[in-house]
Amino acid sequence: MREKIEAVLREGLDAIAAVKSEQELQEVKAAYLGKQGTLTAFMKEVPKLPVEERPEMGKAVNAVKVQLSDAVEARRTELKLQVSQIPADFDCTIPGEMPPEGALHPITQMCYDLNDAFRSMGFEVYQEDDLTSEYYAFDNLNFPPQHPARESMDTYWLEGHDKGEANEKLCLRPHLTGGSVRYLQTHKAPFRFVYPGHVYRNETTDARHERAFFQYEALLVDKDVTFTAGKVMIKSILSKVFGRDVPVRMRLGFFPFVEPGFEIDMGCLVCGGKGCSVCKHVGWIEVMPGGTPHPNVLRAAGLDPDEYTGFYVNIGLDRLVMMRYGVDDVRMFHGADLRFLKQFH
Amino acid sequence: MKISLNWIKDYVALPEDMDLMQLSYDLTMSTVEVEGTEDLAKRFDNMVVGVIKEVLPHPNADSLKVCKTDIGGGDMKEIVCGGVNLRDGMRVAVSLPGAIVRWHGQGDPVEIKKSKLRGVESYGMICASSELGLADLFPAAEEAEIMDLEEFDFPAGTPLADALDLHDILLEIDNKSMTNRPDLWGHYGLAREIAALYDLPLKTIEPYIAPAGTETATVAEVYDHERCPRCMGIMIENVSVKTSPYLMRSRLWRVGQRPINALVDITNYVMFATGQPSHAYDADQIVDHIIVRRAEEGEKLALLNGKDLTLTANDLVISDMKEPVGLAGIMGGAKDSILPTTHRVLLENANFESRGIRKTVLRYDNRTEASARYEKALDPDRCAQSVAMAMELFSEIYPEMKVTGYTDVYPQKHQCAEIDVSLSWLASRLGQVIPNEVIAKKLGALGFTVTFDGDNMHVVAPTWRSTGDVSIKDDIMEEVARMQGYENFEETPISTTFTGAINQLDKNLVRNIKEYLAFRCGMNEVFTYPWMSDKYLDAIVGSTEGVLALSTPPSPTEKYLRCSLLPNLCEAVVKNERYFDSFAIFEEAQVFFDKDYTSPNDPCELLPLQRRYVSGALTDSYDNVVSLFRRAKGIVENMARYTHMEALTFSKKEKPSWADDTVWLNVWCGNVKVGELALLSKKASMDCGIKNLATMLFELDTDAMVPLRSRDNTFTHLPEFPMTDYDVSLLFDTTVVWEDIAATVMGKGGDPLLHGVEFVDEYRGKQVPEGKKSVTLRLKIGSLTKTLTSQEIEQVAATVIKRLCKKLNAAERAN
Repeated sequence: MREKIEAVLREGLDAIAAVKSEQELQEVKAAYLGKQGTLTAFMKEVPKLPVEERPEMGKAVNAVKVQLSDAVEARRTELKLQVSQIPADFDCTIPGEMPPEGALHPITQMCYDLNDAFRSMGFEVYQEDDLTSEYYAFDNLNFPPQHPARESMDTYWLEGHDKGEANEKLCLRPHLTGGSVRYLQTHKAPFRFVYPGHVYRNETTDARHERAFFQYEALLVDKDVTFTAGKVMIKSILSKVFGRDVPVRMRLGFFPFVEPGFEIDMGCLVCGGKGCSVCKHVGWIEVMPGGTPHPNVLRAAGLDPDEYTGFYVNIGLDRLVMMRYGVDDVRMFHGADLRFLKQFH
Repeated sequence: MKISLNWIKDYVALPEDMDLMQLSYDLTMSTVEVEGTEDLAKRFDNMVVGVIKEVLPHPNADSLKVCKTDIGGGDMKEIVCGGVNLRDGMRVAVSLPGAIVRWHGQGDPVEIKKSKLRGVESYGMICASSELGLADLFPAAEEAEIMDLEEFDFPAGTPLADALDLHDILLEIDNKSMTNRPDLWGHYGLAREIAALYDLPLKTIEPYIAPAGTETATVAEVYDHERCPRCMGIMIENVSVKTSPYLMRSRLWRVGQRPINALVDITNYVMFATGQPSHAYDADQIVDHIIVRRAEEGEKLALLNGKDLTLTANDLVISDMKEPVGLAGIMGGAKDSILPTTHRVLLENANFESRGIRKTVLRYDNRTEASARYEKALDPDRCAQSVAMAMELFSEIYPEMKVTGYTDVYPQKHQCAEIDVSLSWLASRLGQVIPNEVIAKKLGALGFTVTFDGDNMHVVAPTWRSTGDVSIKDDIMEEVARMQGYENFEETPISTTFTGAINQLDKNLVRNIKEYLAFRCGMNEVFTYPWMSDKYLDAIVGSTEGVLALSTPPSPTEKYLRCSLLPNLCEAVVKNERYFDSFAIFEEAQVFFDKDYTSPNDPCELLPLQRRYVSGALTDSYDNVVSLFRRAKGIVENMARYTHMEALTFSKKEKPSWADDTVWLNVWCGNVKVGELALLSKKASMDCGIKNLATMLFELDTDAMVPLRSRDNTFTHLPEFPMTDYDVSLLFDTTVVWEDIAATVMGKGGDPLLHGVEFVDEYRGKQVPEGKKSVTLRLKIGSLTKTLTSQEIEQVAATVIKRLCKKLNAAERAN
């Protein structure tokens, strides 16, 4: 009989552990401890035993009864905690609450992404004033005196400062490169820095042209830099921006402040280089000019061009941001329209 | 610029199996950007020569005819046509179904389909030249004139492209990619590049040699040798105005030049072939001979395009013995150029200095194909070659012509650029060693002469690359690298020397501020233009004194450069008010002042004061002005703590002109005023056109802020015993300010168990008597050594309340 009782205990504990609901638990409890239960049946058997066995068996059956009752109650508590206290019709599809919805301008975001990439390669971030003289905007950069960009049609000259010598004529900077010469003049070579900023052109605006836009210049000056080192720089930029390796090609291009000069193209990401309307069916998209700083530019910065050389790129940030998000009108960037800006959280 | 590949083939024998995509690619990579290629014949797909057998009246329309037309192999089709010159036996261009044409030469291209015209089935279309895009090549006397193919004796059914010999590939070259290469502004120049790229022989063009005895007459004279280094004049007799040969016309048409007559076409053809412009004058109109000289101030010249110029002494003219006959290098005069009656020609072929041409072009806003080339500095040696080509064409077209006079004014022979290049320097810059013979061969193909002496390479540039294009060794490096192919150079990694971490406190501060405003304060960054609209300038700044202006502004009312970011932010508020009620924007940018000029680098350069500002605008309805104020103030108040700079404080010293009379504060960093924080006054709001919203503005000079070198706060031990928040609401006179309440609570002689006081809220209204406000403050009460009993806590609070009642006349609220 003792063995039987122990078997009932084991079965009972297993059955209690196995129940999934209070309903089931109640059934198990009734099966063992109820009036018709297995253990109750044993209890009824005890008086029928020989007298000397009765107390011991009585105790044993009682102990099992207590153990099973405890297990039932413990299981009951466990089951209760598992069940939600919240009404079952709670709606989990209601939207979450918005955190503060502020955002940096998409161009600033791109700029900071690039700053982080370049800083990790040991580049400093440089900044310069928006107003400059013709001397720094053009002369130092090897622009010939008659270069069309100097004319008012392209550059915003300041009233009362639009005549005279190059150092007396002031303008909103038409590009960043003049400011780079200031850096070169005030720092000791070798150096590497990036220079993000606003530039201004007196142009007719349309979806692809703006009067104010952003450039991002990166310049590396050192001894014994080959022009192909620039390719590493460019690949770093583009893979940072687009999150994957981007094919890059350098082809001949002419800019007064570099020699040799390049147009730098990236493989079209829309068609994968097969040719599509985005890339005008050539598989490549022009993204930035670049090249080795012209000896005259290095001289203007007080460096010996036989000793120092380097690599320079000038990225149109607006264009890159347009490609990142598929923005099709450059004028959106200066429109201060929150319906546009709130898309770039 | 358009380039015809057939024309190129005159000078370099391209292999028959040449891959055009590859050619475009190679030119783009090494020479000029090819923006597109076009198979010319494709424009004429589904077009054939047709022969009209019979012209019948249209049963339903008087103006139309039904033409029974042989479209090849005796296939007779009926085609409805409205041409005025239709006749039996006429050879015409027929567009069959599938062909693309422009109706009457206008509108978008459309595809021809078999269709009924006024009830009669028409199989295709008999075309006028304008409908095929051939109007310039086959000019029609009137619109409804059908193109007559009489001179092209091809049987019916011959594809039109075959009959008109229009099998060609046209390359579209981006002009911007060759502004520095005057030698490429003609087919011959590009042929040279192609020959060099593919190692093919290039046909040479020998300079002109005039017939003996013609040099005795003076045809041309030069007074200004600086502006005109060379001038050739040739007197040609026994010519006439007639149509030039089809091939010449066809080629001119392909590159976008309208054929005119043989005399003019020859000069244009030579220009598109060699890049060298020239001009043909009616010699009978020229008094004696031509002179290249400066114009006299006020001298008049009527140009071929109808413009009447009053010249200046800086303009160079071609003149005869009496008066100017042409604007040198730009355009001929109306009176003396080719006339219908011309039978003697004075051909002028000269070289002009580029800057002078450019200035004159700008002065009269008169850019031409010729001036575009002269502006880029042409090679004077090319004059003689292009004259040779022109004279060959003259003798082909006018076998009876005679040269009766010839002058070549060329006193100073054009110097070739000579450059020494160190081979070790070249190898280090290229990142690889290229064998001498490879360099010599590549450069040689481009016309350079190269000799080696140890590490030195002596390079003599050809005349056509010696006009400023090639002058230093870096130019030679570029030539070598591009001919080698940029893609054939391995990328090299960038090496560096580590000298220390980059720590740019000022740059970090600006970024911290922007990220704080965007991410922690929930503001949206905007960008606006550096100029201000007069409307917002007037509303916010008020005066233009000390404000810089543009000499050629984007519009007359956007002349002034910003001296504050607020006018443009207010404009942004107006724009966004249409769509949003409550929003917060900020801008970080530079502002400018016409004062405090300094020389940042070069002492001779003086630049005005420029500062970086960060400014914000927060809007809400006027009902929420207190919370709007608190939000804006909280942003500025906590900026220093979150962005790691020296603390900002507030006080009222100087009210900004645009601010509300009551709600304004100046912002200070130490003793320096760095900005303002204020509610935009109702008047300024109205002037800006803000309709309903209350606008809180702040403007801070980030250049005046001081970033911390590191963190300046220190750790505080966590309290061992509980701190209790105890809220107290008291009535104060409305004139009592929070600053005084806080100072009184925490002032000297205060309870050591009191650790701080916070503002909870302020209430004015029905529940509170007139002239009073209810302020709820939260006291921080606790002991460092034990847990306080509630009696002890209440004791501390009671002391505080007593103090406030005594010093600030506070009263406990009745309820």
